[in-house]
Amino acid sequence: MSGRRLVLAAVLLALAQIAFLTWIIAGRAAILRNGQEVLLKVEPVDPRDLLRGDYVWLGYEIRNVPVKLVANAPAGEFMPEAGPIFVRLGRDADGYWRPRSASLRVAEGQPPAGEIDLRGTVSSAWRLGPEDSFAVSYGIERFYVPEGEGRAIEADMRERPFAILAAVAGDGSAQIKALMDGETRLYKEPLY
Amino acid sequence: MASYSSRVRADSARWVASGLIDRNTAEAIVRDVEEHDRRSLSFGSILAIMAALLLAAAILVFVASNWETIPRLARVGGLFAIIFAGYVGGAVLKLNEHGAIGEAVWLVAAAAFGGAIALIGQMYHLSGDETQAVLTWCAGTAVAAAALRSGPLTMAAVGLAVAWLFLREAEFWRSSDFPHAFIGLAAVLWLVSYWTESAASRHLILLSLVFYAVLLAIEYDEPVGVGAGLAAIFAALFALAVVLPEQAERIVRLNGLLPVHGLIGFLVGVIVIQLETAGDSGPAFAIAAVAALAGIVAAVVLAGRASRGLRWIAYIGFAIELCMIYVVMIQDMLGTAGFFLAAGVILGLLAFAIIRIEKRLKEPRLPEGAAA
Repeated sequence: MSGRRLVLAAVLLALAQIAFLTWIIAGRAAILRNGQEVLLKVEPVDPRDLLRGDYVWLGYEIRNVPVKLVANAPAGEFMPEAGPIFVRLGRDADGYWRPRSASLRVAEGQPPAGEIDLRGTVSSAWRLGPEDSFAVSYGIERFYVPEGEGRAIEADMRERPFAILAAVAGDGSAQIKALMDGETRLYKEPLY
Repeated sequence: MASYSSRVRADSARWVASGLIDRNTAEAIVRDVEEHDRRSLSFGSILAIMAALLLAAAILVFVASNWETIPRLARVGGLFAIIFAGYVGGAVLKLNEHGAIGEAVWLVAAAAFGGAIALIGQMYHLSGDETQAVLTWCAGTAVAAAALRSGPLTMAAVGLAVAWLFLREAEFWRSSDFPHAFIGLAAVLWLVSYWTESAASRHLILLSLVFYAVLLAIEYDEPVGVGAGLAAIFAALFALAVVLPEQAERIVRLNGLLPVHGLIGFLVGVIVIQLETAGDSGPAFAIAAVAALAGIVAAVVLAGRASRGLRWIAYIGFAIELCMIYVVMIQDMLGTAGFFLAAGVILGLLAFAIIRIEKRLKEPRLPEGAAA
């Protein structure tokens, strides 16, 4: 490779990688800016594993989606297939959003006013019957905190209700906006 | 190795003095060795790569610490600056005869790219896609390797691909299928390694494919089938390398080490079968053991003279094989003392055999027909 071409290749490469990273940031910021706000109740998960390193592990109330709510779930006992699930959420009287219905693989049409489709992933861990629930992750199960600040939150979470204020984009992908300790916003998330 | 060229220089001076070769030939040989030496790793470039790996680790750990004193946009900007300065600065260094340092700086830039992905994940609290992040990092590094024609970056991309494979399999609450895409990834990186002239990457890819097969056997709980397939494919590679050495080398370009990989893959495949069938009453274990021993002997006979590495793999495989056969077949009858006694005798015999073989292979081969 000649000298100028190598430098040119390096410049283009650097710009391409930086552009790619900027594109991801812009996409995430767009969800924060434009997405529908939902308030999700957080429950403490297995306390021994609540905090790994520098993030708090968030166990959402809506991580269990009853099979009964899923219109296109197989009948009888079945082994769930790992894949996308669209959980339609509505706002309850206490302010928290909870599942109204759900659909595997594809969303069922447009949600009615006041409801929203949240995209999650079903994990295929064990066999399910009609009375069981799907285990669903939404890609927002972690809240990163500055080094050393996680323990206090972990302790508080077991004493009083915490919540996550999330923004949901039109395609159902979610983005954490704030961690709520009751009514107080613990960390405010800037767009960038 | 830097010492090789100085050794050749000393040797050629001696050969000129003793009239074996003339001065022109000696100079040509020394020049050729020095030219090719530049491509191999010297002590300095190893240190440069190690320094780059340390800096890379520093970047990644710094991101992980989530230090709030520096606002996160500044952190992002800093990483972007490292990416740009690293790639471009590395290219400039490379053009100014600082090849090793240039490669090392490129590695730092690739690490900054990975660090930026991690930082974005942290900024937006993305969970559950570390594997996706590693895969993106791997792709970015592979693109960098191809764009800059860099061997070390190719190695880094292969390493990240292996890390991705491992992380995908190690995920505890796995919500995804077995990462079959690794085969495609390995194929792409293999092609990149031709362009970047990185034989080391091809070695690592072949080893990682063996690792992939082992994970496959565990995942589908089908050790016998997968092990047999692995052994058959790598035995075929070995046969290819022995029957058509030049053609095979022209394609794989592994510095003549394809037979070594053939033997490694074959032995791992057979051992996978043996671990599964060890407790069974059927003849599968014995058949696999015979196949392994026959394969080892065949490998040494067919390719052992040319490759010291192959001989050592054969010895190690032979020792493992003896231990496995012993543990499975005889241990029940004899006590622990018997095991140690037998192991000692076996190791002694093994040492004796290895010394004999190494000695014989060191003697110059007699011209064809001269032995008669």
